[in-house]
Amino acid sequence: MSRVLRYGLLFAVALSGVLLFILASASGNTTFFERNYPVLLAINGVIAAALALLVLLLVRRLMKRLWLQRFGARLTSRFAVAFALMGVLPGVLIYIVSTQFLSRSIESWFDVRVDRALDSGLTLGRAALDNVKDDVAAKARAWALELAELPDGAHLAHLNTLREQAGISEALLLSGSGQLIGATGAQVWELVPETPAPGELRQARTQRIFAVIEGEAGATDLRQGLRARVIVPIPPRTTMGSTSPLSLDFSAAGRGREGADTRALGSVGVSPNAETRYLQLTQAVPASIAANADALQNGYRDYQELSLSRSGLKTIYGLTLTLTLLLAAFAAIAGSVLLASSMTAPLLQLAEGTRAVAEGDFSPVREFPGNDEMNVLTRSFNAMTRQLTDARDTVQIKQRELEHAKAYLERVLGNLSAGVIVLNHGFHVVTANEGASRILGRDLNLDIGRPLHALDAPLAEAIVTAFAERALAGMTEDSWQQQIELKRTSTDGSAPLMLLARGSRLPLDDGDGYVIVFDDLTQVISAQRAVAWGEVARRLAHEIKNPLTPIQLAAERLQMKLVDKLPGGDADLLRRGTSTIVNQVAAMKRMVDDFRDYARVPPARLLPLDLNALIEEVGTLYRTAGAPVTLALAPGLPLIEGDATQLRQVIHNLIGNAQEALAGHPDAANPPRITVRTALAEIVEGDAKVRAVRFTVEDNGPGFAANILRRAFEPYVTSKPGGTGLGLAMVRKIVDEHGGRVEIVNRGAAGGAVVTIVLRRLAPAGSTAIAAAAPQRAA
Amino acid sequence: MKSATAATALRAACLTLLLAWLGCVAPPARADERIGVIAAAIEPAQGGGGMLNATFEFEMPQALEDAVAKGIAIYFNIEFEAYRKRWYWLDAKVSSSTLTYRLSYSPLTRQYRLARGGLSQPFDSLDEALGLLKSVRQWKVIEPGQLSPRDEYEAQVRMRLDVTQLPKPFQVNAITSREWSLASDWREIPVPPAVTR
Repeated sequence: MSRVLRYGLLFAVALSGVLLFILASASGNTTFFERNYPVLLAINGVIAAALALLVLLLVRRLMKRLWLQRFGARLTSRFAVAFALMGVLPGVLIYIVSTQFLSRSIESWFDVRVDRALDSGLTLGRAALDNVKDDVAAKARAWALELAELPDGAHLAHLNTLREQAGISEALLLSGSGQLIGATGAQVWELVPETPAPGELRQARTQRIFAVIEGEAGATDLRQGLRARVIVPIPPRTTMGSTSPLSLDFSAAGRGREGADTRALGSVGVSPNAETRYLQLTQAVPASIAANADALQNGYRDYQELSLSRSGLKTIYGLTLTLTLLLAAFAAIAGSVLLASSMTAPLLQLAEGTRAVAEGDFSPVREFPGNDEMNVLTRSFNAMTRQLTDARDTVQIKQRELEHAKAYLERVLGNLSAGVIVLNHGFHVVTANEGASRILGRDLNLDIGRPLHALDAPLAEAIVTAFAERALAGMTEDSWQQQIELKRTSTDGSAPLMLLARGSRLPLDDGDGYVIVFDDLTQVISAQRAVAWGEVARRLAHEIKNPLTPIQLAAERLQMKLVDKLPGGDADLLRRGTSTIVNQVAAMKRMVDDFRDYARVPPARLLPLDLNALIEEVGTLYRTAGAPVTLALAPGLPLIEGDATQLRQVIHNLIGNAQEALAGHPDAANPPRITVRTALAEIVEGDAKVRAVRFTVEDNGPGFAANILRRAFEPYVTSKPGGTGLGLAMVRKIVDEHGGRVEIVNRGAAGGAVVTIVLRRLAPAGSTAIAAAAPQRAA
Repeated sequence: MKSATAATALRAACLTLLLAWLGCVAPPARADERIGVIAAAIEPAQGGGGMLNATFEFEMPQALEDAVAKGIAIYFNIEFEAYRKRWYWLDAKVSSSTLTYRLSYSPLTRQYRLARGGLSQPFDSLDEALGLLKSVRQWKVIEPGQLSPRDEYEAQVRMRLDVTQLPKPFQVNAITSREWSLASDWREIPVPPAVTR
């Protein structure tokens, strides 16, 4: 739109410039322009109208913008008005001065005095001409009278004489009907004299004279030039003379007489009833008078022309001036509007850019070529937005790094086995990690903002007390470490939770806070307990076993010696008593052996071993006893390093445990089943791929109670009446010796328990399995 | 004086706008029919060709008469055009001729003068001069053999004041004032078959 307008304006201005030039030239006097003047005028008018239309369009557009309160419209309009005024006002001033000047100067050309002088000149000229005419008329009258005295035949000769004497240019003798009778004059021989018109003769007859000044002042010859012509009738002769035909000797008549000549035309006979003849005298106006008259007439005509056309002239000049003004003014206005638009365009852009920046869009605005302040400003703006972009990017990068760091920290905290809780000064939970949730057995993320007392009153109590004691003791160090035992009151009757907690003050955003780090010591303690039990067992076994054999021997000896000496009833009593003692001692011995076995598991002798073969060997023993044992062994397992004897006991213990668990719970709908599986497990640790052998024993029995499950691998923990609780403890001990891991979980909804053992110590490739030792228990 | 200037300027401006409007909107208006064609006919000339006899009638507008009386020469054009009729296309112009009369007045001799080509004739009064101007006699418009007997022809004639021959200021007057526009419409004249011989 704007571009079209701009080019349209340029075109119109250029065209109007050319046309105005032509129009101004046309105000001079060129025939071409004279002919095409109206066309020029019209074209200029059209262009003026087109420009006016353009201006209207532009102004309307500007007004619309103003009305819409478009940004920059006010500035643009102000610029436009200023420019337009600067362009138009001088133009109008010049226009007014010019038109006034024009009008005055044109009017000043026309003056009453000049008018009158010209009229007087004209009258003077006419008078001079009339003078000539009157002179000729007087001569004509006199000559007519003279001729009247002469016979017709002598007329021409006498006339010739008279003419020559008077110096009249030409004399004609005419019949009453206007026919030429004779002619005499300087040029008679060159041109046939013109006979007067009938009207002229009639006038001569009625008024006795016809006199006229005719011809064109510019011409020089007699026929065309300015001349006086007089026709008078020749009165009839009073005495009739001879009627002999007049014959004129052309040749003698005066060829020699200085160019003057006389001739008679036609055969002219003078009739008796002679009608009136006419004499016509033609006298060329003297050359000086004729020239002056010509000049006068031309001047008069020009003056009159100008005088008559002065309104037209004024209109022409006025039109040219007005057109010029209109074209200039419209061009100025249109140009000013466009110029103002182009000047404010960078401003508008900047405004747009500012808005965009406010909305967060830092894309640069268009830069204009050129070095003026506006463009410099635009460039500065772009530089600013670039810097803003950079700053924002930096901030974003920093923020992302921070987030990464925080996420990393959280990941570390989350994967920390220790629990971390941050409390504010009112002991409300601010943060807690996954470990804390796991140890405390509830999702602390849901309890953010709640007081710790509401979550775990004993823990809160202990923590508050610990901090209070620190404060009371006036210790400079605010951190403390202490073991906290939490009694669990939950229904599953789980064991008390032993925590090793460390607390310290932590300045938070809203005042003092506390950070508590605690570990679940339950496992550690149970391990310690196991070690302690091992020691106790070893000592007990040693101490108890020593007297057992003497007791047994003493009892057997008593029986042997006394049974025969006693009467029947007493002998039976004795036999029962000794047998009880022997049995109990044996049981005690066995128990002590178990303890000793537990305490003194010999170091494993690790040799390449085929686990599958070992399981099959043990499994055959259970084929027929109790619940069926299903073997699901993965083929091609790598050899492991293991002690066949110890591992055999592990398998025995696990299958036996399962059998015992199933034995007490016959279930028709769910026939007891024991499944033993082996599988090759591969896990990725860091760069290396670690291979391991997994060995599981699962049953579909009732599973473990929750309190047992926690401490299933501790010695003397058993759910079975009469069990020593050393079976699983032994399993664990052996697996630990093999560098493996053992886990026990309940199968959940399906019921039953799964014991999983992972053995990671694989035999080097290429080694061969040592034949399994004979199935015998280690001593 | 000032008001006169302003009035002139205003008039000029108005005129410009009017011109612009005319140029934009109105088709070029034909001159008013101020000259009437009373009679017009083509008669066969001796030896072939055709002669035009026509009689026009008009009143000299006062402004024009004044201008003539001040010694300014004015020109009248009598234009003749002949067309060959074509049923399949626009008619073809076969002949066109213009007769120019110059009417002038000499204030010194107080004579009117009507010139046609090289010939000029003085008149004592304007009416006499106009009398001759208004009737055209024996104007040879069609040359012998110019027209073919096989075709049909049509001719037209008109008379108008030749504004372009006026001095330029008068041309402006002629644009703006009705008094200065003097012209007849085209008058259709049948072309007698005898002319085509």
